[in-house]
Amino acid sequence: MEKLSAGWDAACLRLEDFLRAHNVEPRERLLALTLALLGEAKSLHATTPDVSPIACTMAHVTQVSDAWFAALAGDPERIARAKVAYFSSGRNDLFLDPSPPPEFVAAIRGAAIEAGPTLEFQSLLRKEVDYGAMEEIARETWDQFSWGHVLRAFLLWMAIFFAAWAAYVRFFR
Amino acid sequence: MRPFAKVADLRPDTVSLRRALFLATGAGITAGGTVLMFSIFQSGGISLLEGALLALFVPLFGQIAFGFAIAFWGFVILAIGGDRFDIMRTLRADEPGAAPGSTAIALPIFNEDPDRTFRGLENMFRSLEATGAGTSFDFFVLSDSNDPDRWIEEETAWFRLCSRCQAFGRIFYRKRRVSLHGKSGNIADFCRRWGGRYQYLLILDADSVMSGETIVRLARVMDANPEVGIVQTGPKIVRGTSILQRFVQYATRSVGPLFAAGSNFWHLGGGNYWGHNAMLRLKPFIEQCVLPELPGRSPADRHILSHDTVEASLMQQAGYQVWFAYLETGSYEEGPPNLTESLKRDRRWCQGNLQHFWFLLAPGTRFTNRIHIFFGLMAYLTAPMLVAFIILSSWESYRRQVFEVFSGSIDNPAPIAWAPAALLAITVVLLFVPKLLGFLHLAPRAREFGGVLRVLASTLLETLLSVLIAPILLFFYTKFVVLTALGLRVTWKTQNRDAAGIPLSDAIRTYAAPNAIGLAAAAVVYFQMPGLLLWLSPVLAGLVLAIPIAMLTSSESLGLALRKWGLLLIPEESSTPEILQNLDAQPNDPTLTPRGIFQVAISPEAQAIHASLLRRSRVHARHKIDYLAALRQRLLSDGPPSLTRRELTALLWDPHAVEQLHRDIWLLPDQDLHPAWQHALRHFNERSELTNRRDIAQTGISRPAAATPNPQRGRL
Repeated sequence: MEKLSAGWDAACLRLEDFLRAHNVEPRERLLALTLALLGEAKSLHATTPDVSPIACTMAHVTQVSDAWFAALAGDPERIARAKVAYFSSGRNDLFLDPSPPPEFVAAIRGAAIEAGPTLEFQSLLRKEVDYGAMEEIARETWDQFSWGHVLRAFLLWMAIFFAAWAAYVRFFR
Repeated sequence: MRPFAKVADLRPDTVSLRRALFLATGAGITAGGTVLMFSIFQSGGISLLEGALLALFVPLFGQIAFGFAIAFWGFVILAIGGDRFDIMRTLRADEPGAAPGSTAIALPIFNEDPDRTFRGLENMFRSLEATGAGTSFDFFVLSDSNDPDRWIEEETAWFRLCSRCQAFGRIFYRKRRVSLHGKSGNIADFCRRWGGRYQYLLILDADSVMSGETIVRLARVMDANPEVGIVQTGPKIVRGTSILQRFVQYATRSVGPLFAAGSNFWHLGGGNYWGHNAMLRLKPFIEQCVLPELPGRSPADRHILSHDTVEASLMQQAGYQVWFAYLETGSYEEGPPNLTESLKRDRRWCQGNLQHFWFLLAPGTRFTNRIHIFFGLMAYLTAPMLVAFIILSSWESYRRQVFEVFSGSIDNPAPIAWAPAALLAITVVLLFVPKLLGFLHLAPRAREFGGVLRVLASTLLETLLSVLIAPILLFFYTKFVVLTALGLRVTWKTQNRDAAGIPLSDAIRTYAAPNAIGLAAAAVVYFQMPGLLLWLSPVLAGLVLAIPIAMLTSSESLGLALRKWGLLLIPEESSTPEILQNLDAQPNDPTLTPRGIFQVAISPEAQAIHASLLRRSRVHARHKIDYLAALRQRLLSDGPPSLTRRELTALLWDPHAVEQLHRDIWLLPDQDLHPAWQHALRHFNERSELTNRRDIAQTGISRPAAATPNPQRGRL
């Protein structure tokens, strides 16, 4: 019983925090909403006793909140935008109000969060640049270059060097 | 001074005469120095080593000669009251101004501090509004940030700014999903999406701030001169606190104007573009300035890293002029806080400038662009050349010394004994006279810089610091050139713009190599050629002291102490312009904490802002849903560090996944959440509590439950 009571305490605090995160004001409304939602959650919990009070309460609250925002937005796809509009509106006293004023609803539905103006696509076409003789020289070098050639040249010059050195030692020293 | 009504008034003869004067000054001094050097070597014939030294001497001496020529002509221009052919003079102050052409102001960002970035943006927005011409301008924050926390913070900061300034529909935020080709790719993406809507584009850096008046004037100049494709301003470096920042910002205010005026003197409409604090004409920019591919074997080799000079070149090839509004005030930027950050930036610039080599000899490149490219190349290539010159000349001295000792000719005077002294004197003049000219330029306005004596002391201190830092730059520039030549890549990294000191361990790690080389060189010179030690001491001192120099110049407390003493002072430090005020203010908004990923997961507002900025996919692939669900589960149970940056980013790109994460955080009991989430949730709740308490204090309504500590809350 004590454990359950502590669970409801935690649920109550989480609910209060959730409502405060939605800037619910005034305080009287915060308390009223908390009590009402908690009461509903407790009723629901009676049918699903295995679920923790926090999970039960918050599942219920988020469902209520989503439904409210969906009704406010008039389109479930626009819930996020309705939320943003709600936070910008400053009408925090209306959170979860079952019958919000029509002008508030209109304002929420009319609000648009514009991350960018209407697109007006341009094609960016890359121009070919003539880099002149340097490009040709570089390409020829890259095409012809291989470490095998370098190694062969190195060995050839080493052989010439040692041959010359051997000749010098043999005939001139 | 006769008016300069429009750029079309500029006669080709004037342009040719100025360029001839500039080139003759630089080339004449170089030729004189070369003759002197030749005469030094000439006695007894020129050996192979001396020939090599002479070949190195010409470009090295040429660089300081042309630098001097720019400063000299700049001083002359400023001394006679400014240039008639200053692009901003085409604006008539008495003309009633129609609304300037539609302009987009683009702020490309990459993991920058959102607080500082958006405060700068707010100042610019308000400043533009105050001009009455604000409606012609739209702001675009173009984010390429790959740090998920930064991304979320940027979104929230953007939303707050728009709310504060009533600027929805005027300030836009765009996060690029694929950050291709760094900053140039970011700008290209903007042009592709919205470039057709605007006439002009003002490009900023994350630390750029420009006054509304300056922005409007730039747009009006573009309106007045349809032949102009780019107007580049000379941003003043401000807000420095470390010694390095204050040293650089003072240098840009003493000798900087000379170089700026001197540059405009010779290039006029053939100027360069620095990539920020500049206004572009969008139509030709989109049609003609798309970056080409470089010749190269791999895609990475073919991508142009430093786009600005190339874009200026392409703009001029398209028949548009590029001007430098060098006297325009109200354009600002910040400098790197310490030597290490400055070198990181230099490494990127080095690689970018060296790539420009391809355009140096390309048939279509204009003459002035070739000169800009050549100067850009030489800025870094001269470093290895100078190192080679110092080594070879020291060896030559040693060889002569040994030869002379053995041949008994040590006491014989050189055939032309005055030549080395004359060459040395000319070199000193070329290096230090611009500093003197800078001092003379500042002297009439010395009061703004702390008074004549302080300006003199600051100039001496600035000269000393440049002498000490130059060898360190020499070492690193040489290293960068070699690394670039070996094909080692440089990535576009975020600049740390905070004035943080360099810890000893970092300083040792970074500067041990120049330090060791300096010590070894000093020892060799001391034991083998003690007579050369004095001559080489300016180079050796900087290397030997590299570690303490790096640490000292990064010191914020010393920098601020110098400011207190009125040294290296700039006018903006005595009286901060309105546009630069409050840029360091901390956000006084409790709803901004916790930040980043925690914020979007916990705060319903941040989550809603984020979700509404994302495109909702109508197709949900099963494997993607499962992948994101697994990531979300790991995030909840193991905390944010359990996910890589890439995984977090993948999660954040999906609105459903973010929504579900937000729901789970609020739904799950504490024991099912990782301690990091518990802590963040508690912090968020405490913040809510604080907000409530603040509300109570403001409204006078008390709430006993909130006033008493709750053990249950402590556990939460």
